Order: sequence, then structure tokens, then C-alpha cells
Amino acid sequence: MVKKILLIGTVCTLFLGADEDKNVYERNCIPCHRYAPASLEKLFMVYLKTYSGELSLKGALKAFLKNPTEADSLMNNTFIENFSVKDKTTLTDEELDEAIDTYWELYDVRKKLK
Amino acid sequence: MLVSKNKGTSLLRSSEKSSLLRFLALYFILVTMILLLLGIFYYQSQEKLMFSNQRTILSEYANRQVQALKQLHNDFPHRTIYPRSIKYRSAIYDIEGEKIFSLLKHDNIRFDKEIYRVGNSIHFLKTLDDYYLGAKYLFIEVDEDKAWYKETMSNILAFGTLTLIVLIIFGLFFVSIFLRPMRNSIVLLDNFIKDTTHELNTPISAILANVEMMDTSLMSEKNQKRLSRINIAAKTVSHLYQDLTYLTLSHNRKSKDEWIDMKQLIEDRVEYFAILAGAKKITFELDLKESAIFIDGIKIARVLDNLISNAIKYNKRNGKIFITLRKNYLQVKDTGIGIKSKKVNEIFERYTRFNSSEGGFGIGLNIVKSIIDEYDLQISVESIVDVGTTIRIDFTKGTLDG
Repeated sequence: MVKKILLIGTVCTLFLGADEDKNVYERNCIPCHRYAPASLEKLFMVYLKTYSGELSLKGALKAFLKNPTEADSLMNNTFIENFSVKDKTTLTDEELDEAIDTYWELYDVRKKLK
Repeated sequence: MLVSKNKGTSLLRSSEKSSLLRFLALYFILVTMILLLLGIFYYQSQEKLMFSNQRTILSEYANRQVQALKQLHNDFPHRTIYPRSIKYRSAIYDIEGEKIFSLLKHDNIRFDKEIYRVGNSIHFLKTLDDYYLGAKYLFIEVDEDKAWYKETMSNILAFGTLTLIVLIIFGLFFVSIFLRPMRNSIVLLDNFIKDTTHELNTPISAILANVEMMDTSLMSEKNQKRLSRINIAAKTVSHLYQDLTYLTLSHNRKSKDEWIDMKQLIEDRVEYFAILAGAKKITFELDLKESAIFIDGIKIARVLDNLISNAIKYNKRNGKIFITLRKNYLQVKDTGIGIKSKKVNEIFERYTRFNSSEGGFGIGLNIVKSIIDEYDLQISVESIVDVGTTIRIDFTKGTLDG
């Protein structure tokens, strides 16, 4: 019995410790988008095609996450009808900036084009 | 009356020459500037023509590249190879002007022009409506065909040079028309002087000879003074006659150079001008050392006579004339009215006079200068208004030691 309790305790600690190692983006964006029909990479390409530059994209994304509206959404009507517009973010400005920076760094096409 | 052709008047005066040169320089600059402007306009029009020919092809390349970028955008990140072509090179920039990817040879791109030349290439800019891969600006680069440039430049050079030559010929023609009245008036004056000169010789010689022969011991003091005035007046006219004769006749005769004892010559000329100077109570102060130069006697006498006569003419009453002779130079200094420094360079111009109240034609110093130049001597003038003028002639060449 004691062994079982120790084992459960160790697993919980590992999980909690692993969660603490993740950054804002991994903790707050990936969990939900993992199950969304449009991947984060595809969404990035949609944003890139619409806003072009780094500053424009980051600014537009931050504004949308802070106040998501149907009008500002880049998703098509069918998508919005089925999944609705996301809720407002609970992250602070600093956390949002950090998450968006990570997102940009991850999918920036400049580093991948050959 | 005989009017002989004077070589002096057939040549342009230096003031005339400088006016001519100034006009031609101004005309040349203006014509060159106009031609340059026309050349620039022609070059720009040819460049525009070349651009308009290139635009169609480059626009087609750009559309082709946009399609390839669209395909790549949709396939990203499974396919990451940037689309390339052997016909052109391209680059994409985002809305903020930041480079996304470039294959250009020349990266000094411009966002404000649709088509332009850079180095040996032509850049064509296309602005995208959909920012595939984040690209708002697509640059297409092709190597420039320099044939148009060579043809344009050779046309500009050939037509420009031809036009310049034609316009310069026109300019010279116009200048000769504009200068004709001025030249005519100079010729008229010269001809008048020449004609007058021939009429002066006999009466002056007669007056001077008779004055010299007159026995003054029997005359009253008043008459002696009158005779002295006649002598001065006759010598003044004689001096003028000598100058005019030199200009019209002697100037073109062959020089008879010989060793001239300058000290003796100066003493002779001072004695000759003594009565003239005495009339204005001007005294000579001579500081003469032995010196001899190899020169035509008549010409050096003209030089001396003119320097001394000017020193008398433009001196003040009770003034002084200092004549200094050294082996290598002669200096005549007066205590006269002087000349303004900016006018000093003009004193050797013919018909230039600085005091209209004094007689003369303004030819004396012109004769001096022509003789000085002929014998490659150096003349320098220093003058202070109301203090006096110093004229120095250096004759290093032709001295006994020289």
C-alpha cells in the first residue's frame, strides 16, 4: 500500500514538474489547439498571408486574442458557425507577448526557406 | 593724304580679345549646358523606352513567380524550396520592407519605383495583394542588355559634338558681327592719327629749328619766357609726333639692335625734357650707374621719352622725378597724382588716359609695353594715389653681362 502511495506521489510530482518546464505558449496555446481542426502552423500561414510582416502579424494577433470578434477572425464562416469565436485570453500582456514571440519563432518562414 | 595699313589695328586689342574670350566662354558654357540637358532628356527618353519594352516581359515573369509562391505557400512547410528560374532572379520582402528571401545579385532595392536599373541589372517591383509567405513586395531581376545604352551614348556624343561645333561656328560669326562697330571705330581713330601724323612733321621741325636758332640774348625777359613756352609746346607736339610715327611707321620697320649706353641716353633725354619739366617747376634727381643694353636705339628712346613725359605730365607742380639706373634695371619714380590700384593693369591699353585734363592720345605706355614685350623685358608698375607712380624696367637679358 505504501509502495502504491509512493508511486502515485512520484508520478504526480513528475507531471507537475514537467508542466512547470513548459513556456507560456506551450502551456496556454497548444493544449486547446491540439484538438482544433486547424493546426497552429496552418493558422500561422493564414495570418502571414494576411498581415505579411512580423510586427503587423504580432500586433494583429495580440489584438485579436485580447478581444476576439467574429469580424476580426480570419477563419471562414463555416468554421465559426461550428466552433464559434474563441474566448478572451486570461493572459497578461507580457505573457501574451512571450507566447506570440514563441509562436513567430517556431513558424517563421525565413528560417525554413531554402 | 596717305593712309597706310597699320599692323597694330589689324590685331585685336587686348580688351577686345578678353571681351571676345569672355563672350565665347559664356556662350560655350551655355551651349554645352543646353546640349547636356538635351542629352539628359534624350537619355531618359531612351531609358523609358527600354523600360517599357522590358516591363511586359518582367511583368510576365512576376506573375509566374507569384503563382509559384502561392503554390509554395499552400504546400508549406512540406515543401520549402524557394521557386527559381534560369531567366530571372527574384526576392520577396514583407510589408515592413524586411527581406524574406532573396536570390538577387544586387540587394540595393527600391520600393518607390516599379522598374529601375541597378548595376548591370534591371529590377522590376510587383506589389502582391495576397501576401504569400508573408511577401508584399516581389522583385524580379534580369541582366541588362547594354545595346540600347551604347547606342544612346554614341548618338549623344556624335550629335552633341556636331551641334556644338555648328553652334560655336555660329557664335564666332555673331561675335564678329557684334565686334565690327567697335573695330571700325578703332580703325577710324587709327587712320585719323596716321593721316594727321603726316601733316605734323614739317611744321614741327620748322618751329623747333627756328626756336633753337633764335638769339635769346637780345630778347626781353618776357619774350624769352614766350619763346620758352613755344619751345615746350613744340617739343610736346614733337614727342607726340615721335610716338605717332613710331606707331604708324617705325613699329613695322626692322629693328637695328646695338649696344646703347643707357646712362648717356637718360642724360640726353632728361636735358631734352628739362624745359618741359621746368614749366611745372619739376626737378629731376638722377642716380645713374653705368649700364648698357643691346636694343634698337629709336625704340629705347621711345620708352624713355614716354616714361619721362608721363612723369612730367602727371606730376604735381614743384614735384620731383627720380630716375635710377642700375646695371639690370631702370626706374622712373614721380611724385604725381598716382593711379588707382585696380586701374594699374589698364595703363598699357592704347587710348587709355587717366586724366582727361592732360593732353595726349593715351598711346605712350602702349608703345612702351609693345617694345618691352618685343625685347622680352619685364615692366612693373607701383602706384599710390596722390603719392606717385613708380615704373621699373628690368633688362636682365641684353645687358653687357647678360
